[in-house]
Amino acid sequence: MIGTLSRATPVIVQGITGRMGRSHATLMRAYGTNIVGGTSTRTGTHEAAGVPVFRSCAEAVLATGAVASVAMAPPEETWAAVQEALGAGIKLVVTVAEGVPLHDAIKIGRAVRRAEAVWVGASTPGLAIPGECKLGFLPDVCLNPGPIGIMSKSGTLSYEVGYRLARLGLGQSIWVGVGGDPVKGLRFADMLPVFFDDPRTKGIVLVGEVGGNEEEDCAEAYVRIGARKPLFALIAGREAKEGVSMGHAGALVHGDSGTLASKAARLTQAGAEVFGSIEALIDRCARVYRFDKR
Amino acid sequence: MLLIEADGKALFADHGIPVPEGVIVTDAVPELPGDGPWVVKAQVPVGGRGKAGGVVLCASRADVATAAAAMLGRRLKGHTIDACLVEQATVGQERYISIMVDPASYGLRVMYSAQGGVEIEQSGPVEGRLCAPHPGAVADALADLIADEPAAWRGQVAAIGKSLASLLIEKELALAEINPLFVGDTGCVAGDAKVVIDLNAVDRQPRIASLIAARPAIYVDACRKLAEGFDYVELDPDGEIGLVTTGAGLSMMLIDELTARGAKPLNFCDIRTGQMRGSPARLIRVLEWITSRSSLKAVLVNIFAGITDLGEFAGLLAAAIKASRSLHVPVVARLVGRNAAEARRILGEAQPGMLVTEDLEEALARVDAIVRGLP
Repeated sequence: MIGTLSRATPVIVQGITGRMGRSHATLMRAYGTNIVGGTSTRTGTHEAAGVPVFRSCAEAVLATGAVASVAMAPPEETWAAVQEALGAGIKLVVTVAEGVPLHDAIKIGRAVRRAEAVWVGASTPGLAIPGECKLGFLPDVCLNPGPIGIMSKSGTLSYEVGYRLARLGLGQSIWVGVGGDPVKGLRFADMLPVFFDDPRTKGIVLVGEVGGNEEEDCAEAYVRIGARKPLFALIAGREAKEGVSMGHAGALVHGDSGTLASKAARLTQAGAEVFGSIEALIDRCARVYRFDKR
Repeated sequence: MLLIEADGKALFADHGIPVPEGVIVTDAVPELPGDGPWVVKAQVPVGGRGKAGGVVLCASRADVATAAAAMLGRRLKGHTIDACLVEQATVGQERYISIMVDPASYGLRVMYSAQGGVEIEQSGPVEGRLCAPHPGAVADALADLIADEPAAWRGQVAAIGKSLASLLIEKELALAEINPLFVGDTGCVAGDAKVVIDLNAVDRQPRIASLIAARPAIYVDACRKLAEGFDYVELDPDGEIGLVTTGAGLSMMLIDELTARGAKPLNFCDIRTGQMRGSPARLIRVLEWITSRSSLKAVLVNIFAGITDLGEFAGLLAAAIKASRSLHVPVVARLVGRNAAEARRILGEAQPGMLVTEDLEEALARVDAIVRGLP
């Protein structure tokens, strides 16, 4: 699903008449995303951001044939928004709210799995196929079509990486913000086959954080399914104190588990290159992909 | 977020899990339960307290007073000890039981070991089962794990597992662990409580909210987040660089990179410019916290704005700097995003000589130079 997204993919925005929904629907359309409509519980609004507004996802899907949705719902309403999208037959849901309760995220994950759909979130700036479309709010200034696949737990740290790559004329093939929540939709390991199968992608940048074991799982999957493309990793949180979470609920170190040392060791053993600073990662990408600039 | 043991045990007691009688000590030692011996335990939200000297067995009331006095005010694994829990020491065989959210399976992981105690991590992998997030599924998983335990008290362990599962699900916890769980013919008792709550669910969990609100000195960061709506964590009270930054990941990375250069960041911060809505109040608050530390030598502002108009942000920053009378150190601003040129103009007029750049490496180098007293 992610690898085949394009400017033709029909997308709806749930909550399109809200402040966030309206402004991001406009920005996504301006970037090239095929926003075909939106939903709102507000009666009497038939149009927002230049597209029709429907009373429900089911109505929107019936009228537009949308297959993907960006849910602009507050954290406590995200679970209901995803249920509605799945019920309407949506196959890709992007949820952007910060602070979705953990046990709601479990319910979302189970429902998405049952529906055989794809979920990006709980909290994510979204995803993009630069030059084609973006679902969410990755800043345009960071997006540039190119050979590097990006997957990131952190929005801003990935913006920084994308921005510096773009300034050097380097760009991205597929960019997915998997988000910093412990319970989430797509995880790093799930993205590896997507990048391996995507002909545009020559290498992969993983932007990780301390906490959880996603980086470790990704290292294991990288070996198991065959390291077909180079993997470059940048991991934040070396200085994180045990038991103190910094911003992201998932970024929490307990004992030796979830530490940067554990993640870096596992990724290095798996054949990935792990960098200690943003500049070092960018320099390496610039050297490897210097003939892929545009 | 990890609760202190006393609060974890309060939740256990709510759900019918037996805990030893105990009292909280923050100053003078009150009337103690029973005849001893007692254990004195530092109440800090961090694991591995025993090995770090945070748990002391005492035979007499005088020993309890000495142990508590020695602990209170001391720092343990980065946290100041503001309270001790004094309990009657429990004896019996030790077991380990835990239930936690398993992110990859969208379910729960139930773990049980016949070897409880502080050495659990060294004694090899603990057996676990994955199951659906329902009390019945937890009960089935646990029944499997405790099948070899003596029939005399297997039922009691199963009952504790059931209570632990309902606690985890009802209170929307990430983890509920008892280690050690004391078992025996006379009953089971939770020797310790490790409970990790979900701060994102606090709004609909009044019991958890009241536990946090009751201990502002211990749950400083959580209280601040709930009151202010954004993240600010003081990392080092002797830090030299105050951070006014957006984004959890980028802010963490900045802390790593500054530390690697030999600098001392004071705080973590994710200020969320999108929520400021035209008011400098939030920036003024952060500058107030940062400038309250006399070790401060520079403030680094790093805003990577996907959506925020930087011209508007610069106006708010200029107003906040002007309003912060206690700010006597240089401010370096790194701003990327819409309207950066306008932001440079506004800050250039408000603060002549202030570095405003789009280049993070340049900003870091300047901060480094200020801290080292270089020109």
